[in-house]
Amino acid sequence: MAAHTATRPPAPRTVAYARRWAHQNLFNGVGNTVLTVGVSALLVFLVFQLLSFVLTSAEWDVIQTNRRLLAVGRFPQAEEWRLWPPIWTLGALIGLSYGHWSRIDRLGYAVLAVVLVFSFTVLFEGQNALLMALAVLIGASGYVAMRVMPEGSSLEPKVGRALIAGWLLLLPLTVLLLLVADGVRTTLWGGIFLNVMLATVGIALGFPVGVLMALGRTSSLPVIRIPATLYIELVRAGPLIAWLFLARFVLLDFMPPILALDQLDIVVRAMLVLAGFTGAYVAEIVRGGLQGLPRGQSEAAQAVGLNSFQTMTLIVLPQALRNVIPALVGQFISLWKDTTLVFGLGLVDLLGAGEAAYAQLDFIGTQAEVLVFVALMFWSIAFAMSRLSARLETRLGIGER
Amino acid sequence: MTESADVTVPATSHSLGEPIIYCEGVEKWFDDFQALKGITTEIREREVVVVLGPSGSGKSTFIRTINRLEPHDAGRIIVDGIELNDDLGNLEKIRSDVGMVFQQFNLFPHLSVLRNITLAPQKVRHMPRRESEELAMSLLERVGIPEQADKFPTQLSGGQQQRVAIARALAMQPKIMLFDEPTSALDPEMIKEVLDVMTELAQSGMTMVVVTHEMGFAREVADRFLFFDEGLIVEEGTPEHFFTNPQEDRTKLFLSQIL
Repeated sequence: MAAHTATRPPAPRTVAYARRWAHQNLFNGVGNTVLTVGVSALLVFLVFQLLSFVLTSAEWDVIQTNRRLLAVGRFPQAEEWRLWPPIWTLGALIGLSYGHWSRIDRLGYAVLAVVLVFSFTVLFEGQNALLMALAVLIGASGYVAMRVMPEGSSLEPKVGRALIAGWLLLLPLTVLLLLVADGVRTTLWGGIFLNVMLATVGIALGFPVGVLMALGRTSSLPVIRIPATLYIELVRAGPLIAWLFLARFVLLDFMPPILALDQLDIVVRAMLVLAGFTGAYVAEIVRGGLQGLPRGQSEAAQAVGLNSFQTMTLIVLPQALRNVIPALVGQFISLWKDTTLVFGLGLVDLLGAGEAAYAQLDFIGTQAEVLVFVALMFWSIAFAMSRLSARLETRLGIGER
Repeated sequence: MTESADVTVPATSHSLGEPIIYCEGVEKWFDDFQALKGITTEIREREVVVVLGPSGSGKSTFIRTINRLEPHDAGRIIVDGIELNDDLGNLEKIRSDVGMVFQQFNLFPHLSVLRNITLAPQKVRHMPRRESEELAMSLLERVGIPEQADKFPTQLSGGQQQRVAIARALAMQPKIMLFDEPTSALDPEMIKEVLDVMTELAQSGMTMVVVTHEMGFAREVADRFLFFDEGLIVEEGTPEHFFTNPQEDRTKLFLSQIL
């Protein structure tokens, strides 16, 4: 060990080193020098433009006035209480999960600080700010509780299982709370809340559909393989927006009348289409994972006596899914952004709410402000998903081949 | 099954029991390539059979038919009184009674060493967790690496991985162990540690069918050699017979190449 460290000098943080690095990487040759100077100038210009817009010339009133519209659309104010228990639970789950499986590093605290300052200056105000602060408090207590729990406590595996159960139950309980006892019709959902619901339902239904279709397509039985293949190829052959239109006007009316699918409202139709569409892509990603696994794995599982169901669920699928996490999360990020396509169905999602906001007489000419804000919202969640994927990969990477 | 009188069973150091594997006219096709062209043999309890032959001779295919990783296309295979066919109930019974060790180890990389061993006893034999873990630890002691229980397979050397694979197979308390070139993927310095475990296993009275090129090991532990070429058993007999007095030209040629 000592010899190893001795042969490796610490990275020299000197001016001379920086100059050598810059010379080798940025200014090695006329072409690269021109490129470096050009790109840097462009970057500086763009960042300056954006910052001067955001900090000086932008009129952020349009966002502050239309907070409600952007957040939940036409969701009735009297029913807003239905949203808070899910948000508190989400806060608790995030805090507990972070504390249990990870820890917040310095960068994490910095990001958290930015998010909190932004949330309580721009996003929330008055009563909502208090209710949101409660969610943050719950999350923070959960995190602290997990951090002070002694390492290697016998509670740890139980906590992990309870957290996974909590995450799985969050969506169904949220939907239940929204709809139960004269709840809010889905057609009144809107804003970023609508995007979140469409995406989570799309993922929650699309993922199992995709896994089943992948298994179907790799089955040796033609009665299973052929329908699965047809489904995947048919769905992938059409653009999502076309499927959404079809679902609005045609598709479900073809279904057997006893299922009463033609009675479904437009949001539920959109959810089914997003789930089915995502399922077809997930199926191909998972199939890649299944086929990338060495045949010896299932042979070894069979050789110790596991039946084919156990072989699939205990040996093959866990490894196949772990190996395709990046592609799966890519598909989910894509779905998250594709939820805006429901504007074609007359629904008012975050982007639609933004359009409505800058169409108001008071806010003529505020497209830039609104679109920057909407982009920031989409980006934050997509980025969070991508970070989560990276974390999952490292965490499950133990025992990597 | 009891008419073993006309089968050549060589004199051996330890007493052999009743026949436990019975193959008659076993054939196997891969598309239009015939890998096995009618294999007939009988293997008795506590017997150690080493299968030799050039690559592509069908020796691996043969031992893979014994636990039906390769279903045979013609002939009969009876293992421990159960005929191998499409009956899934039979298949699961056979597979939990026949352990197999692969050339590429095939440990489950997403499970710890301990979990690799306890999985099948828990899921197939419905053994309680604690009991299966005690069993796993005693098997890890037996193969000499109890300290590796909580590691993951990729953190182990090839020789250690293969020893875990042997422990995993033994955890089902099999009556027969199949070894498909267990040392061929190992670095030379790790071959001995695996062969030592196999030798100990053979001495403990396990019925073993071993495909290997390790002639020193084969000579020491085998009761009988089967020499395969082009999908047929060309010659069989005791190690002594093979080392001193092989009859077939193809056997002589093969032995001259590997010795």
